[in-house]
Amino acid sequence: MALNLTRRKFLQTASLAAATAAMSGCFANRANASTPFVKKPFTAPGSFADTTTAVGGVCEMCFWRCQLVGKVRDGKLVKLEGNPKSIDNGVSICARGNGGVKLLYDPDRLKFPMKNVGKRGAPEWKRISWDEALDECSTKLKAVIDKYGPHGIAIFPHGSSAKYPMTFFEHVVGTPNNSEASFFQCRGVRDMAYVATLDTAPDENVDMANAKVIFLLGGHFGENVHVSHVKRYLKGLENGAKLVVVDPRFSASAAKAHTWVKIKPGTDTAFLLAIMNHLIKTGKYNKAYVEANGEGFDKFKAGISHATLDWAAKISDVPAKQIKEVAEMLAANAPNVSIHPGRHVTWHGNDFQRERALACLTGLLGAIGVKGGFVKGKGPKVGKSGWPKVNVEHAEAHALHHMAKKHQFSPPGTPTDMIRETAVTGNPYAIKGYVGWGQNPIQTIPDQPLTIKMLQQMDFVMVCDVMPTDITMYADILLPESSYLERYDMIKTGVQWDLSGKQEQYIAARMPLVSPTSADHERKDSVWIVNELAKRMGYGQHIPVQSELEMTNKILAGANLSVEQLVKEDGIHVQPGVDPYGAVLKVKFFSQDVADAGFPGVPTYIPVPEPPKGFARLVYGRAPVHTFNRSMNNVWLMNEMPENPVWLNDESAKKMGLKDGDRIELVNQDGVKSETSSVVKVTPGIRKDTVYMAHGYGTKNPAMTVGVGKGIDDQSLITKRVVDPETGANGMRNNFVKFVKNGKVLSIPA
Amino acid sequence: MSQYGMIIDLEKCVGCHACSIACRAEWEVPTGKDSAERERRRNWVNRLGPSKTPQGLASTYYPGLCNHCDKPACVDVCPADKVEVTFTDAKSGATKKMEVAATWKDPFNGTVQIDKERCIGCGVCADACPYNARYVNEEEGDPKADKCTFCVERVAVGLEPACVQTCLARARIFGDLSDPNSEVAKYVKKGAVKLESAKVKIGPNVLYYGNKKDMHLLTATSIPQAMPQANLRRTIMAQMLKPAMDQVKNLGMLGLAGAVIVKGLSEDEKE
Repeated sequence: MALNLTRRKFLQTASLAAATAAMSGCFANRANASTPFVKKPFTAPGSFADTTTAVGGVCEMCFWRCQLVGKVRDGKLVKLEGNPKSIDNGVSICARGNGGVKLLYDPDRLKFPMKNVGKRGAPEWKRISWDEALDECSTKLKAVIDKYGPHGIAIFPHGSSAKYPMTFFEHVVGTPNNSEASFFQCRGVRDMAYVATLDTAPDENVDMANAKVIFLLGGHFGENVHVSHVKRYLKGLENGAKLVVVDPRFSASAAKAHTWVKIKPGTDTAFLLAIMNHLIKTGKYNKAYVEANGEGFDKFKAGISHATLDWAAKISDVPAKQIKEVAEMLAANAPNVSIHPGRHVTWHGNDFQRERALACLTGLLGAIGVKGGFVKGKGPKVGKSGWPKVNVEHAEAHALHHMAKKHQFSPPGTPTDMIRETAVTGNPYAIKGYVGWGQNPIQTIPDQPLTIKMLQQMDFVMVCDVMPTDITMYADILLPESSYLERYDMIKTGVQWDLSGKQEQYIAARMPLVSPTSADHERKDSVWIVNELAKRMGYGQHIPVQSELEMTNKILAGANLSVEQLVKEDGIHVQPGVDPYGAVLKVKFFSQDVADAGFPGVPTYIPVPEPPKGFARLVYGRAPVHTFNRSMNNVWLMNEMPENPVWLNDESAKKMGLKDGDRIELVNQDGVKSETSSVVKVTPGIRKDTVYMAHGYGTKNPAMTVGVGKGIDDQSLITKRVVDPETGANGMRNNFVKFVKNGKVLSIPA
Repeated sequence: MSQYGMIIDLEKCVGCHACSIACRAEWEVPTGKDSAERERRRNWVNRLGPSKTPQGLASTYYPGLCNHCDKPACVDVCPADKVEVTFTDAKSGATKKMEVAATWKDPFNGTVQIDKERCIGCGVCADACPYNARYVNEEEGDPKADKCTFCVERVAVGLEPACVQTCLARARIFGDLSDPNSEVAKYVKKGAVKLESAKVKIGPNVLYYGNKKDMHLLTATSIPQAMPQANLRRTIMAQMLKPAMDQVKNLGMLGLAGAVIVKGLSEDEKE
């Protein structure tokens, strides 16, 4: 009885049944379950009933990688939960983590190798065999290498399964043209600025759980959810930490803040310099730490002496009094303050300097290696496995930024815009082969027309992914990958979430929770796919491991562990840890290296373009139920937030005649209009010169049947490109928009 | 008697929606709507604000679920035939017999439950709930009312409710409100609030705790101000049909009774 009745239809059917019953004198007994002809009513048994618990899951709905267990019934995954043995996320996982079940069984998932017999961007797919797909990929990629050299290939990877192909192309094939979205459109700027200042990449290592003040620049926890990180933040708040949130928008964090600094976007560095100058002028910085560990402090002090409270107040549109209050609050609670380094920091193209300023502020307060400060947990050692570095010299010699002597502080790989420009101009060399692995550059990188131009001029485009994201529409060959719930592929290590807790370390390996094989698809894991490619391309002798399982075991062997042993230990090995406190880091307040490269050696505020008249700055951020575009086809997650309302200041909205919930489109300063619509969210919680939306919506690929056309793609409106000069990373918040309602363009009042 | 209840601590809640999704996974709750106005859900998070409040700008969340009310509006309206059911107290082993329709309030743990076997899927209970905490699940072609059970099935085997377990903020606290030493009872003493109004006073057992501005925003936006309109008409209809139902019950003709009632409701809906 596979009826799929709507309620109304049911009511009609039922009334019809009643009439029929009355006429025939024969009563249908709908509710009696004992009658063999009547179906037993559907009652979900619960995930605990008749299930087995599969251990060893490591989440990849985002990249924080919480440790999971799977509840499996009859070979089918019914629910994901945090692994009770986890000292990181514990039994908790976020909405996306819970939603992983719907990624696994998404009917729109890629199933078979496909060949595009239509056009790039307007594909027509023909199912082909793995042999045919691999033969074609290897022949075409080899042809590019033979004709243009290894550097003629560009790779756009994302996620842990992309590491194996990425290092194959970098180390063995020998191309430097690797554009990792996590670096060039996200956190690379932060890592490089902290390396230049504190000689270490910070990740998000601030001990918020034990801080007296938590200082966030744009961080919006709650909307941005990484479980153990948010646990640290909440514990800090629970313990009475004061929260300072600097954001043009009243974010989820601003709502919990003691001080909300409603800053003008792009001016954060001015604000930070004024805080530091005030602390130095009033002698309220950590003199002992700075004297013992500071380098170039006098040059720094002189270099920021212009940054008075009034100077910054004017630039940042923050009252001088509030800047002073924040400075004094930080000083009064130093060194136990968490100056958060941020995560997605590719904002305005002046980002390296801002991140340097954050690192300097951390040093100025001596907030390093102490409770509540910048503290790195000491994780366990594991082994290594990967491709040998047989052709890295060729790669380095052809690195575009080295050749051009630009972007000396580029994170690993090559700045995205140099790859794109080189591809479309052929200068200084041709880039004719595109390998995409888990990244969706269409919605990751600004200036979509340039990305498409790059793709169109390629001799060959291959993409491997789990879902048919927008980039897959441009593939010549499209390969289906097993998901993070069906494969081995990475080792997650770390320490207990609260650094002041019992000192422990953990090692968890991603293991399949359910079988990767079934009759309805031919998905494969990246180790198998890349090995097959490598053999066909003539690199077979360099293959480091025969399978993902072997790779995992090789890495675990470095810690005297194995997959077998980890399973015995419920998926996570826990061992005694090391006290993380007490570390001392040198602080390069003035950096000679940065100055030698031709950039300001003292953190410097570089102004960004103002919104043209009638426009507001487009700022984007995270939605708690989504990871960029990756989760847009997930029925559970999309149901929670089916589109991305565009935040608009309430007074502006009134003048524009817009009401909360009105359906709108956006048009940017270059006349580019959003292809889809969303609703306006009218609120006093945003500046008048700023509009905000969650990133990742507006999928164009009709093969994503749940996500297609929902909400507005912010990236499509980021057409004006800005590049951070030190790192080559993209700045994505220098674009401006107006609203469009019923075809009428509405200017935003100043 | 115990009264299971839940506290939502908005000071801790970060609005991540994990509760809502964990519930869908646990109980295979479908997405979408069961009618023009009603979402199919057992558990939800409404995002509130940022809005002005007398205490300043506020933004918070309304994580909602069945309130397992003291005087549930959904129970008495159930038109299914009553049967005698023996309830057992999980703690003492004491038993109690009660005549109940297809939905009832448990005399020992205070939860409101549904018997899917006897539910006729008419949706009257869902219409009656001022909190929109029930919906009609038609996924399997056989409509049944569905809602949060407080995960008594999980609790019975020593687990936390699915939404509580997954909550990274530990913002959801489940327990026995009748036990003064329970964490939930302590929150009540601290001033946790029921989402009740002058016209909607049915004793919800999910309570909310937070700072003044967040609570202002929550109560200003999320307290039902009236009992559902349709409720009255449908209750009367259900009452009128009860004698007929008892009759058919005696004849073992429950299906017809259900059909008659839904016919009536179907006509009611057309009005």
